[in-house]
Amino acid sequence: MLRQLPRSLRMTSRLRTQVNYATNSPTGQSQIPVTRALEIGRWAEKLKAAGIEDTEFNLKCIVSHVLKQKFNSVPDSFAQLKFNPGQLADFERFLEARCARMPLQHIVGEWDFMDITLKTSPSVFIPRPETEEFMRLVIEDHKNAKSVDLLEVGCGSGAMSLSMLHSLPQVEATAIERSKAATVLAAENAKMLGLLDRFRVHNHTMEEDKYLPEELKDQKYDLIISNPPYVKTEEFQFLHPEVVVYENLNALDGGSDGLRVARLVFDLACRHLRPGGKLWLELGNDHPPLVKTIMNLKYEGRLKFVASYSDQYKRERFVQIEKV
Amino acid sequence: MLTRKLLNLRLGHLARRWTSTDPLSIQNEKLQAYLESLRQEYYAVRVNAAGNSKSYARLAQLEGVVSALEQRRVLERHITSAKDMELEKDEDMRQLMQEENEVYVDLLGKQDQTLLQELLTLSDDEVYTALIFGLNAGAGGQEAMLFAQELYDMYTGFFEHMGWEWEEFASESTDIGGLRHASLMVTGEDAFRWLRYEAGVHRVQRVPATEKSGRMHTSTASITVIPRPADIQVHIAEKDLKIETKRASGAGGQHVNTTDSAVRIVHLPTGLAVEAQSERSQLKNRELAMKRLRSRLVQQQLESTEASKMATKKAQQGSLNRNEKIRTYNFVQDRITDHRVQGGTLHNLDGFLKGGEQLSGLIEKLQLEHRKERLKGLLETWQPPKEAIKKN
Repeated sequence: MLRQLPRSLRMTSRLRTQVNYATNSPTGQSQIPVTRALEIGRWAEKLKAAGIEDTEFNLKCIVSHVLKQKFNSVPDSFAQLKFNPGQLADFERFLEARCARMPLQHIVGEWDFMDITLKTSPSVFIPRPETEEFMRLVIEDHKNAKSVDLLEVGCGSGAMSLSMLHSLPQVEATAIERSKAATVLAAENAKMLGLLDRFRVHNHTMEEDKYLPEELKDQKYDLIISNPPYVKTEEFQFLHPEVVVYENLNALDGGSDGLRVARLVFDLACRHLRPGGKLWLELGNDHPPLVKTIMNLKYEGRLKFVASYSDQYKRERFVQIEKV
Repeated sequence: MLTRKLLNLRLGHLARRWTSTDPLSIQNEKLQAYLESLRQEYYAVRVNAAGNSKSYARLAQLEGVVSALEQRRVLERHITSAKDMELEKDEDMRQLMQEENEVYVDLLGKQDQTLLQELLTLSDDEVYTALIFGLNAGAGGQEAMLFAQELYDMYTGFFEHMGWEWEEFASESTDIGGLRHASLMVTGEDAFRWLRYEAGVHRVQRVPATEKSGRMHTSTASITVIPRPADIQVHIAEKDLKIETKRASGAGGQHVNTTDSAVRIVHLPTGLAVEAQSERSQLKNRELAMKRLRSRLVQQQLESTEASKMATKKAQQGSLNRNEKIRTYNFVQDRITDHRVQGGTLHNLDGFLKGGEQLSGLIEKLQLEHRKERLKGLLETWQPPKEAIKKN
């Protein structure tokens, strides 16, 4: 016992010098190395225990958010980074929330989509990585067009329309959105990106025979895009906690076969697409063959199924339809 | 009276220059003969050029020198000779002549500069549209790596300043913000002509941020500049790629909310694998990974092609010894000293490390020195053509 005492004393004194070194910071506040904060809180383990995969990425996102640094400017190793007490408190609060499966995108308040960064807001649907792939195809298909009148049905945060406006200057976009919060957020994002002059968003719920708001009822478009709710009612039990607890289920619920809203979009496209105009949809796994059948049976002479595409996970999810 | 005295001094200086033995003075006889031969070549080529693209290229090369030379001759004719001046009886008239001469001598001096500049540009030979710019931390451990990163920032700033395209295809950095090595491809018409003078060992003297006792350290970083042969092309077929993300299975789309951003791409024919995870957007990471893959393939080809080996050899012979210490950055005295030129010491290190005007100014100086050397060498071996002598 006695022999061990000096050693432990030496250890504490070493610890003290370390702390002293950290307080030599320019701000004069005591700072704590990020790696130490991670160790003490055992956050990596806690995240894993909460069922979150890809813990390193989650941690890096939150660290960069707390330090108010751009994600791509934060080194993979946190060895040189330090928190002040305020930042440490934020860091712990955010990680608690993450362990409760609050979506990472809501915690950091913004997310990158293709080349743009969008603000996120609770209750507004967060764009997924596959949607980037979807938009890549749509943009590729229209990059040589002289001018494009675009309509987006259910724009959410505005990700799809805004990324298209951002990469193609010849596009003018109109969007409709049923959620008030999302309508406001999309307009905010457009303003932040300096795209407000080419982007109009209307708070409107699409219904049979009232597909677009009154002032747009005679409008025709060259292109309609939509990522409509497509989750089948029976699938709701399998959704991730982030989705069930934190996301607006209106943005997901596609009825018994997942195509309830998509069917409305088909009818809307019949009325509001110019001849030769395109309808692009992002749907669920087994939808494209079903859509093809529906086109052939119900929309012959009005809409034509052109092709379907797979996302990066090799799932057939995107469809291209043409107005006859 | 005073002005006349000054003028006499100046004319006297001019007279002395007529007998100049400096091989790069316009008054030098051999240089004069060389210029005349260029002028004659220009007109000879112009007569026979008709549709020959090589001839046109040569004409374009010579045009600057020839027109500068002819303008100079016109100016020369305007100067009244001392003999004529003496013959003039009218004092007022003579005064006028002298004033006129003063103006023309001044103009002539400027024209000589232009002519020399044109002539020096002519002595450049190699033209490469792209080059591989390598940066390696040398002796000095962490501090050398920090310095390498500063040089990296300086040169990438310089590429932007000059309007050159550049792309990084390999780099390794350290945790504390240093750089072990980096390879960049720089594309620009005149990039090689500027950057070739930067190859060599750069030395830094300062008290490093990592040093606790306040001692001054000397560390180095070295730079290589290798011209890239024009024929390197990489074609990547979509079917040759295997793109992997972290999430391999399970539902996707609206059912889940995973932030699946890291991407790994395997190029099946070569087995090369690249990864990218520095962005939050998966698509951005994929673009980044593709860029890396392309660069790696270019690098692979570069290393294998015989042509590039030849070019490298030539470049190293043509420019300076790669292992020579070419420049010192002394932070304590806030100075930069280039060891290859007279008066190569500059101040304001912070400004210099931005890679803007200051750096380009120094390189211009080096360029000029190099061109002068080349022109001197050229003149030494040059023999006036026989007919030209006869005509004179």
